[in-house]
Amino acid sequence: MSNVRLPFAAMLAALLAGLVLALAGCNRAHKVTVVETVEETPDKTGIPIAINMGDPKQEKQLVSGFYAIEAKSWRWTAKDFTVSLRPPAGSAAQGATLIFALSIPQVTVDKLKSVTLSASINGTALAPETYAHDGQYEYKRDVPPDALKGGAVRVAFHLDKSMPPSGGDARELGVVARTIGLESK
Amino acid sequence: MKRARTVAYWTVPSLVCLLIHWQGFTAWFRADDFAWLSSFDRIHSFHDLLIALFRPQAQGTIRPFSERAFFIIGYGLFGLDSLPFHMVIFATQFAALALVALVGAKLTGSRAAGFCAALLWTINTASVEPLAWVCVYNEVMCAFFLLLAFYFLLRYVETGTRPYKLWEWVVFLLGFGALELNVVYPAMAAAYTLLCARKLFRGTLPMMGVSVAYTVVHTLAAPPPSTGDYAMRFGASTLRTLAIYWTWSIGPAYLETPAHVRRWMLIAGVAAVSVALFGFLALRLRAGYGAALFCVVWYVAALAPMLPLRDHITEYYPYIPLIGLAWLGGWGLVEVWRRGPGGRAAAVALAALYTAMVLPRTVSASEWNHRISIRARDLVEGVARAHELHPGQAILLYGADDEQFFNAIRHKAFPLIGMNNVYLAPGSEKHIAEPAGWGRVEDFILAPAIAARALDLGELQVYDVRGKVLRNITTDYGVTLVESGMPLRVSAGEPLTAYLLGPEWYKLDVDHRWMPKRATLRIGAPAEPGKNLYLSGYVPDALGAVEITVTVDGAPLPPRTVRPGPFEAVFPLPDSVVGKSEMLVAVEVSRTFRPPDDPRELGLSFGVFEVW
Repeated sequence: MSNVRLPFAAMLAALLAGLVLALAGCNRAHKVTVVETVEETPDKTGIPIAINMGDPKQEKQLVSGFYAIEAKSWRWTAKDFTVSLRPPAGSAAQGATLIFALSIPQVTVDKLKSVTLSASINGTALAPETYAHDGQYEYKRDVPPDALKGGAVRVAFHLDKSMPPSGGDARELGVVARTIGLESK
Repeated sequence: MKRARTVAYWTVPSLVCLLIHWQGFTAWFRADDFAWLSSFDRIHSFHDLLIALFRPQAQGTIRPFSERAFFIIGYGLFGLDSLPFHMVIFATQFAALALVALVGAKLTGSRAAGFCAALLWTINTASVEPLAWVCVYNEVMCAFFLLLAFYFLLRYVETGTRPYKLWEWVVFLLGFGALELNVVYPAMAAAYTLLCARKLFRGTLPMMGVSVAYTVVHTLAAPPPSTGDYAMRFGASTLRTLAIYWTWSIGPAYLETPAHVRRWMLIAGVAAVSVALFGFLALRLRAGYGAALFCVVWYVAALAPMLPLRDHITEYYPYIPLIGLAWLGGWGLVEVWRRGPGGRAAAVALAALYTAMVLPRTVSASEWNHRISIRARDLVEGVARAHELHPGQAILLYGADDEQFFNAIRHKAFPLIGMNNVYLAPGSEKHIAEPAGWGRVEDFILAPAIAARALDLGELQVYDVRGKVLRNITTDYGVTLVESGMPLRVSAGEPLTAYLLGPEWYKLDVDHRWMPKRATLRIGAPAEPGKNLYLSGYVPDALGAVEITVTVDGAPLPPRTVRPGPFEAVFPLPDSVVGKSEMLVAVEVSRTFRPPDDPRELGLSFGVFEVW
């Protein structure tokens, strides 16, 4: 066997050095380090970046094409409907995502077979989508930065078909809207 | 020159270790670390300290030095600063590397072989988590104790000096405080003496007795689980598990590498190195070197306790066993090197093949661990800032993903920064995978109705956690939040749900709430029949076993008996409540107790009520 001896002093020194360095170089406080967060800035325009159809306080953002609140949570739309939204912070540089939460009722499918929804923001057209079955959907589209300049943008929606007035209901009915909003990327 | 070589001999393996595992050295805490760190806050008396040090936890493990004391002292001194923890881990690893070189030199008669063994060991992928993930320090400390005890045995064999035997015993006994794997040391010592110092074989048998006694006591104190990932399964599966660990020992863990190498090439590489190792072993045995067989015995003995864990194959389990193969490999490289130019070429080729297989994976695994630990740090430190800015308010996390959930949220990192009310946003369950047996994501989600009410009352701040920096989206989130009726889960231990509790409940005690003899609450009713009401809470020892009676909208449910300790009780719900907007639940215990210095009559501590 080789006559190598354990460098006890070196090992002990390494362990002690680690402990001393740790004791000397580190924060003894129990508190964790904190990192800055991005906080909300007061919105001078008062315009939200998203609209909950069940909230009567946000009615002023519904420019046209919406009917009264139903079941405290949704509204019927007409064939064409428009909202006003505030672009999220940073979206003028990075763009944003338009998210429209909607429902297609069975009655719509029964009467129209399918409906195609399209939208435009400040004149920039977004790709359409066709719904042929009842259910809940999200119409989700990326919006380029150029379409999101300024303190507010108009989002115009269009349906290729709608249910005409019938029976005692004089309304032209499109889809069931739940929320419409812009989400930052 | 000789002095420089000596210094290099002892320092180069450590420097290589630090270089390769730098991302591990600079990693933060993650996952199970938070549970161990929180041990500190549960100690208020000497009795609490004993409980914290020795009560079986986490699959019934008892590791007072490497987990309990390490985290308790570390957190007590340094809080959530991970650097001192990693300094201790790496200092222990450096000492273990020195011992690998030293013992390797003694086993093989070659200092160069010991040096090579230390390098082969430290570049293996199995060493990533023991060095980078703080809660796996038990592996590093255990390796140190096993190596040191064995070194003292070697010195005893060399010199016959009794103090070395005494030190071997001391270190062996201390090793039980690091990891249960320490029980295999007597098998290693017995194998070595049997192969290389037969006269001393009988002297190792008392240690066997200690290991057997430890195993019996440990099994009685913390019976091994018979189901789940940690259940032990004996039979043919152990050979399959051995084969997997062998490939991970010679090649990269999971036989995956970031280098663009085809899988069959990795298998061929593992086979080539394996053939070389076994060929060298056969040659050494023919030449009468029993120490070569001891290297393999070390590997098998240190791996044996993990082989029955068929369903919990873990990349760092070969970390300690590998030391045996590293000795054999280092020895082989040096012997082949000495056989002239052809041998040198073969030695270089084998070393290069092994390095090429394991090193890229080691570096990438270390980077992965660093990245997810830093994500956990960004989340925790961001929430700490949010808590500073909005004291007294709850925090809702929007957009959390799997990594954030499994490395911080699920392991309750936030109570460490004084935050007991951090929740996931409704809908988070759609974005977080939920492996079986890992707990439910829903337990961390705030129900929409509770979130909406808290937002209206200014009791909740919402942060988007998808980026590196947390972004406050409280206003915008409040606009899009869609309420969905009464919550189906009510935690009595959270301030935001207090409005659903009846007036009988006592005030909140940090994260739980005591009931008197009878208490009520409102909760959502099931939409369909066949659902149950789940109660979870705690029965104090002073109360003993008690009967719980539950009524739902006045209808009594079959009573349940719960015993001291944490409890869960399940009550089938009657069809009469199906479809209701809410139901009134009344809970009553068969008796109460009054603790000393507390005027309250206490029943049970809650806890969660959930319709499921």
